[in-house]
Amino acid sequence: MTAGRLIRTLSRSGFALVLLVILLLLNVWLNPARFAPGAWGTLIGLAAPLIGAALASTPAILSGRGGIDVSIGPLMGFVNAIIIAALIGGLGLSDPWIVIPVAILMGAAIGLFNGVLASYVRIQPIVATLGTYLILTGLTVTIVPAPIGTIPDWLRTFSQGFSFVPPLAIFLIWLGIRQLPYYDQLMATGSDDRAAFTAGVNVPVVRLLSYVLTGIFGGIASLSLSALIGSADPNVGGNYTLLAISATALGGVSLAGGRGGLIGAAIGAIDIFLLQSALTFFNVSTFVLQVAYGAVLVIAVSSTALQERFFARTGK
Amino acid sequence: MNAALTLLKKHPLLGAILIAVLLHLLGTLLIPGYSSPFSIRAMLVLAALLAVASTGQTLVILLGGIDLSIPFVIGFANVVAAQLTGQGLPFWEVAAIVAVLALLIGAVNGALSSILRIHPLIVTLGTGTVVQGLVLIWTKGFPSGSAPGFVSSFVSIGGSIGPIPVPGLIPALIVMAVALVLVLARTPYGRKLYAQGGNPTAAPFALINPVAMWIVTFALSAFFAAIAGVLLLGFTGSAYGDVGQPYLFQTIAAVVIGGTSLIGGRGSYVGTLAGAVALTEINTLLIGLGLQPSMVQAALGAIIILLVSLYGREPHLRTTI
Amino acid sequence: MADAATLKVEGVALTAAAPPFDETIAPGDVIGLAGLDGHGQDLFLECLAGLHPPATGRVVMGGKPVTSFRNAAASGIAYLPRDRRTMGIFPNMSVIDNFGIASMRKDLRTGFISMKSRRARYERLKEQLSIVAQSPDLPITGLSGGNQQKVLLARLLARDPKVLLLNDPTRGVDIATRRVLYRVFRELANEGLSLVVLSSEIEEAIGLCDRVLVFRDQHMSARLTGADKTADRVIAAMFGRAA
Repeated sequence: MTAGRLIRTLSRSGFALVLLVILLLLNVWLNPARFAPGAWGTLIGLAAPLIGAALASTPAILSGRGGIDVSIGPLMGFVNAIIIAALIGGLGLSDPWIVIPVAILMGAAIGLFNGVLASYVRIQPIVATLGTYLILTGLTVTIVPAPIGTIPDWLRTFSQGFSFVPPLAIFLIWLGIRQLPYYDQLMATGSDDRAAFTAGVNVPVVRLLSYVLTGIFGGIASLSLSALIGSADPNVGGNYTLLAISATALGGVSLAGGRGGLIGAAIGAIDIFLLQSALTFFNVSTFVLQVAYGAVLVIAVSSTALQERFFARTGK
Repeated sequence: MNAALTLLKKHPLLGAILIAVLLHLLGTLLIPGYSSPFSIRAMLVLAALLAVASTGQTLVILLGGIDLSIPFVIGFANVVAAQLTGQGLPFWEVAAIVAVLALLIGAVNGALSSILRIHPLIVTLGTGTVVQGLVLIWTKGFPSGSAPGFVSSFVSIGGSIGPIPVPGLIPALIVMAVALVLVLARTPYGRKLYAQGGNPTAAPFALINPVAMWIVTFALSAFFAAIAGVLLLGFTGSAYGDVGQPYLFQTIAAVVIGGTSLIGGRGSYVGTLAGAVALTEINTLLIGLGLQPSMVQAALGAIIILLVSLYGREPHLRTTI
Repeated sequence: MADAATLKVEGVALTAAAPPFDETIAPGDVIGLAGLDGHGQDLFLECLAGLHPPATGRVVMGGKPVTSFRNAAASGIAYLPRDRRTMGIFPNMSVIDNFGIASMRKDLRTGFISMKSRRARYERLKEQLSIVAQSPDLPITGLSGGNQQKVLLARLLARDPKVLLLNDPTRGVDIATRRVLYRVFRELANEGLSLVVLSSEIEEAIGLCDRVLVFRDQHMSARLTGADKTADRVIAAMFGRAA
């Protein structure tokens, strides 16, 4: 990524970035111990599931024409339930070389399912992934009616010293994808699928793959989630869907498709995390937290829209 | 079979009606008492509540938007109505306050989405979260108060109006549905709604004001959600802030199963009614068959995908160039 | 009364650098706009329609300045956009819905649209424009391009406009329909409407219009009338040559 491109990326998520700096300073000032370098591992571990969910949501949204994956939260919950309760607890297979590929493959398979529905069966993505949402939530609760199981030590480090690994892995994969022609095809499809189709891009395949990527990233994010909660829990996954969508919107990923990227989504997710963290410190009720989070979402997205309008008018 | 599919694609609303009827027959065959008067009345009331909650979603989706604030507005109306009733306000004052506030919330949704061109999904999610939080702060998380007696009997499964053994909600919904169908087909607002949803770029050239359409339609959506919230208060008897949560996805599902396209401009309210009945039948049938609630949910997801892939598919990109 | 239907262009320039010009479009006038694509004729037509303000000067309709699309429409200016599919038709609606969408007030009886009144208005214009449509209740997408265009024209005429601004109205329209459209345009002008027609075909502009304004590099480079109104002169002005 060139410097110019980086600056453009950052300015698109301008408000989110400013918010991030302010919230970070506020947090450090309020709670130096929690934000001390020695605690960074744990800190990142707390934020990693949300960051992962936001990153995972991005490829499907980028693919445009209403592209979105609302099943991302339940996907993380389902993978969490399977790897902890079935794979590690049931079969006793706790080796990372088995668990990690299984998590990624499950994510990819669910993503493939969503992708086929959205791209080839041509069901509106929000409806298709809503169906998947319900299926996965139902299956998860059926398999794991209540929190159960423990996690191996290596996985626990993903919420401690090595908490940066899953999000970093997603970024590295994305960095690799950006070198491929696929990336340009994805962005072209997202901004104008008819033009891309006319130009010879295989739009259905490009869309399909974006959902597979979302699934793969979701599988990786579920490792962070499993590490953080330390068990198979049927009730946590679902919450991440709306948070992840908010995070991507905050970070300037346009729901119209073709605009935004993983850095913005990550910034948006960190914003939400820091906001929660700061408000929790004040010991305000979760109610206030909720109002603040909703208000920040609306204000941030509005100001980004206003800013884009302003730039569009002044022609910069 | 092919002819049947073509017919379904042309009139997706038939699909929802067909499913509802088939499911009902299936339920009657498999489950004793499925068609008992009480069971039918219960299903009617549940479907009617879902239909009311899905009314606004239908309008908003016809417009080309989506409203995720519906469950939050339902919860808001539910709690505020109970609280105010508990403080001794007469029902009509309670209704007026709740209605005005709901209309305002919806208007904000529509204005932000259309003036700033932010995706309504994000806007309604944000405002919904704020509204719910404010209600929680106001009630400190423990809503109190009570349902107005009039509302309780209006939605009671055992209720009846004169000789007809259904609560007032059912005929009221039918009257409202007829009125709404008439409004959609025969008033400038209704025609503009379809035009704006069908081709938003062309709408301003046909002297349609998009901002006004969005504000009015989202305000209506919140208004109907508020009605659903008050009705649910009567149904359950006490206030509960999260009472609307199941309706987040159920309203979208009812609208889509009813054959209304999420792209906007295509669909009908009668379809939504059929969709609400079909969803209620599916739910009742699966629970009646002894499935766990979680499996009911999973099966519901699969059925939604199946139904929409039968008659709710989008055209191939090739055909849109 | 004639004054209320006169569209005046006062000192309008499309860019700050371009020389401003005046133009008076009186009832019965048919003005052609020509130029190579993107040389300002589109922009000029959109200024007349109130879609955006000119760089300098103003557009005045019946003594009142045109400030917005809605205010232009209210003063009797009707605009036909260029791209029928994206800016014209409502593909999800019937022929008669597409016809009536911008003039529903005329059919209102106690708040509801009278189907009878709408149908009667449609039939009149269907006759006038020779619209070929099986049933007005079928989707508009079933009509040929030319007939869709006629329905869109009917939509505008239903508003009883005083000025018609037509952005390349014969684009993608078959020969037979073109003849009908030309005949209709002349009839409308004879009835006292003024027409401003942007055309991408020079012969069409010359044959149809009383005067042709040629645009080059975002300014009006020639105003051709009478014997000057020849294909050679138009082409010369388009390419910036003297002729």
